[in-house]
Amino acid sequence: MPGVLRYNSFARKNKANIKKETGKINNKTKQNMEKEIILNALNLSKYYKYYKSVFDIKRDVIKAVDDITFEVFRNEIFAVVGETGCGKSTLAKLVAGLINKTSGDIYYDGELLDYKDKKKNFRKKIQIVFQDPYSSLNPKKKIYKIISYPAVKNNIIKKRDRLDFAASLLKNVGLSEEILHSYPYELSGGQRQRVGIARSLSVSPELLILDEPVSALDMSISAQVLNLLMDLQAHDKMSYIFITHDLKIVRHIADRVCVMYGGKIMEISPSQDFFKEPAHPYSNILYNSMLPYNFKKQLNFTGLNGKNAGSGLISKEKGIEKGCVYFKKCYASKEICEKNEPPLKDVGDNRMASCFFPFTHPGL
Amino acid sequence: MAYGGKTKTMNLEIKDLTVRLYPKKNAGRHINVVDSVDLYVNGGEIAAVVGESGSGKSFLGLSIMRLNPPDVSEVVSGSVKIKCPGEKEELDIMRLNPKNLPSVRGRLVSIVFQDPNTSLNPVIKIGEQITEAIFAHKKIGKPEAKEIAISYLNRMNIDGKARFNAYPHELSGGMRQRVMIAMAMVLNPCFLIADEPTTALDVTTSLQVLSLIEKIKLESNLGIIFITHDLSIAKNISDKIYVFYAGQVMECGKTEEIMDNPLHPYTVSLINSVPSLPADYMPKQKLFTIPGYLTKDDFTEGKCRFYSRCFKRDNNCLKNIPLNEISRGMFARCIKV
Ligand SMILES: Nc1ncnc2c1ncn2[C@@H]1O[C@H](COP(=O)(O)OP(=O)(O)OP(=O)(O)O)[C@@H](O)[C@H]1O
Ligand SMILES: Nc1ncnc2c1ncn2[C@@H]1O[C@H](COP(=O)(O)OP(=O)(O)O)[C@@H](O)[C@H]1O
Ligand code: SF4
Ligand code: SF4
Ligand SMILES: [Mg+2]
Ligand SMILES: [Mg+2]
Repeated sequence: MPGVLRYNSFARKNKANIKKETGKINNKTKQNMEKEIILNALNLSKYYKYYKSVFDIKRDVIKAVDDITFEVFRNEIFAVVGETGCGKSTLAKLVAGLINKTSGDIYYDGELLDYKDKKKNFRKKIQIVFQDPYSSLNPKKKIYKIISYPAVKNNIIKKRDRLDFAASLLKNVGLSEEILHSYPYELSGGQRQRVGIARSLSVSPELLILDEPVSALDMSISAQVLNLLMDLQAHDKMSYIFITHDLKIVRHIADRVCVMYGGKIMEISPSQDFFKEPAHPYSNILYNSMLPYNFKKQLNFTGLNGKNAGSGLISKEKGIEKGCVYFKKCYASKEICEKNEPPLKDVGDNRMASCFFPFTHPGL
Repeated sequence: MAYGGKTKTMNLEIKDLTVRLYPKKNAGRHINVVDSVDLYVNGGEIAAVVGESGSGKSFLGLSIMRLNPPDVSEVVSGSVKIKCPGEKEELDIMRLNPKNLPSVRGRLVSIVFQDPNTSLNPVIKIGEQITEAIFAHKKIGKPEAKEIAISYLNRMNIDGKARFNAYPHELSGGMRQRVMIAMAMVLNPCFLIADEPTTALDVTTSLQVLSLIEKIKLESNLGIIFITHDLSIAKNISDKIYVFYAGQVMECGKTEEIMDNPLHPYTVSLINSVPSLPADYMPKQKLFTIPGYLTKDDFTEGKCRFYSRCFKRDNNCLKNIPLNEISRGMFARCIKV
């Protein structure tokens, strides 16, 4: 049972090594140079087409993910944030190979990511955990079968070893063996979410895509899941694409932050820098909508309904053909933004932003 | 139970409210899903009810309006008295003749539900859904009702004229939730129960809805019971907080006092389990967790309801624990406080 072994012994042994690696390097440029890219996407797009009405044969296009390029480093937590409908889940499904891309390429470990290539076995290396712990587990199957299924399918374990295998995985996600024979509906949200994670871990993946893994959970339970994820990153060298809209969580666990809006990437920054000073105007709006948890009541509710609101669904009706996607809502916009699209480019300190006027603060 | 005192003209006071939940098909025993709850809110005030999922918050909200499912649950004791300006006398919703309930719902006390997707009718235009609510209480003409509906949509920062004929699916999640609030507010009630109105929304949209709730509170001197599982929202929007666990108020008091100086082990644990934002903040630190999770067993009598997860428990906690006043206006249900 290689999967089990890996999680029990490997973890402890490598703890010290990892500490050394991450602790020493301070110089940011050096940090990035030494980092190994595990996944990169080049000009990736996903368009959905749909008929406006039964009588209209003209089709509208939703650019759910629109020409994006990014990379994820090994052993990092790469957080993707942005409001409803900005394309986060679409991106997750593209990387997981659950939907077909419209154009662009994804590379994994330098090789073209093609799930049909059976020899490369990408399915085993990349796993996805979904937002909803209630609907993502088969309600008719017992927990141990759910957890061990991918491992049996990938010939990692024999069918008769399922129970032991599942038990050890449960232990790794902090659950007791008692639930091996339970059904999903008998578990709490947090337990179900951890079962979902245990199932993904069963094939010893290298990259985990987590689509809002704690959004449906209570505060006390979400802390349990986040601790588990941080643990796995530190001990097992796991890499994550972590999708969320809770910036407090991003700040707590992420190494880098990727901000999306209207299917495009607005900014990619190391988490520390992002939370010191967001580069993109939209990042600023997101940052300012974080509720100041440990501060005195000081929310500025006014002004949120005006131009600075930066909220509501992205208008898909016309589809912006040129200019900045964020133009209509931007507080920093100038004439040039309406006609030209700002490319995602280096704005210093290993940061990228697609904006002609980065680091412009609201209210100026 | 109180902090700061009641205003004379306008308040909603819940006393000793107990709601029993019966198991389906006689499996197991009944539980008090809401257990001797005392709560009150003045006009122009927001009282937050904070607790995790399954703790009975929605049941509390529904029971206040006697909307709790009658097939499985029953109010066994308590009163919900409301005093509104313009009403001749105080009335107790729990003692109201059922046929008078519709005249109270929406007009004196209104409710906004957790999920706007299931509470709006998908095949009826939103404008019509709002005018329906008006017709249920007022005998006025269609154009007049339409005008009122539009003005309320405008108040919610939705272009009423343009969106009157929109179907729910044509609106974003945040807009649908605001339509729900418009619907709840259209009869100008004195009190509003908001059951997790922002839980289904993302941050920016959620902030928009919160700011709106703050605005209507100020404009209409509305008293609001705001149900949420998010402490940071409660902290930012409420005047006082009721920390709810397994059907009981575990701790209550002024928002600042509870957040700065929590007394009950559950409140302390909750506050510690959230990633926070102080200046000396350390990322990647292990978060504090509360072991286990809330189950139906926690609702049983004869022990502290937080016993199974408490870091301070001992054998003295194996009895019913009363809610005690610890200092002026601060109450906690724990023998160790
Ligand atoms: N199967 C589909 N057919 C048509 N449009 C779709 C489909 N799936 C997603 N979309 C559209 O693509 C856009 C991006 O959707 P996506 O689910 O990626 O958003 P998201 O960022 O994950 O939002 P949320 O925070 O609400 O989960 C939205 O406008 C959505 O309506
Ligand atoms: N219609 C129902 N029939 C039976 N039990 C219910 C029903 N609705 C809720 N419950 C149970 O009542 C308890 C409290 O539920 P609820 O008030 O919805 O909690 P909260 O709103 O705090 O999440 C839970 O244990 C839940 O399973
Ligand atoms: S390019 Fe212009 S419109 Fe776009 S975000 Fe930057 S300032 Fe705003
Ligand atoms: S009474 Fe006992 S079990 Fe209950 S909260 Fe206090 S210390 Fe914990
Ligand atoms: Mg999504
Ligand atoms: Mg609820």
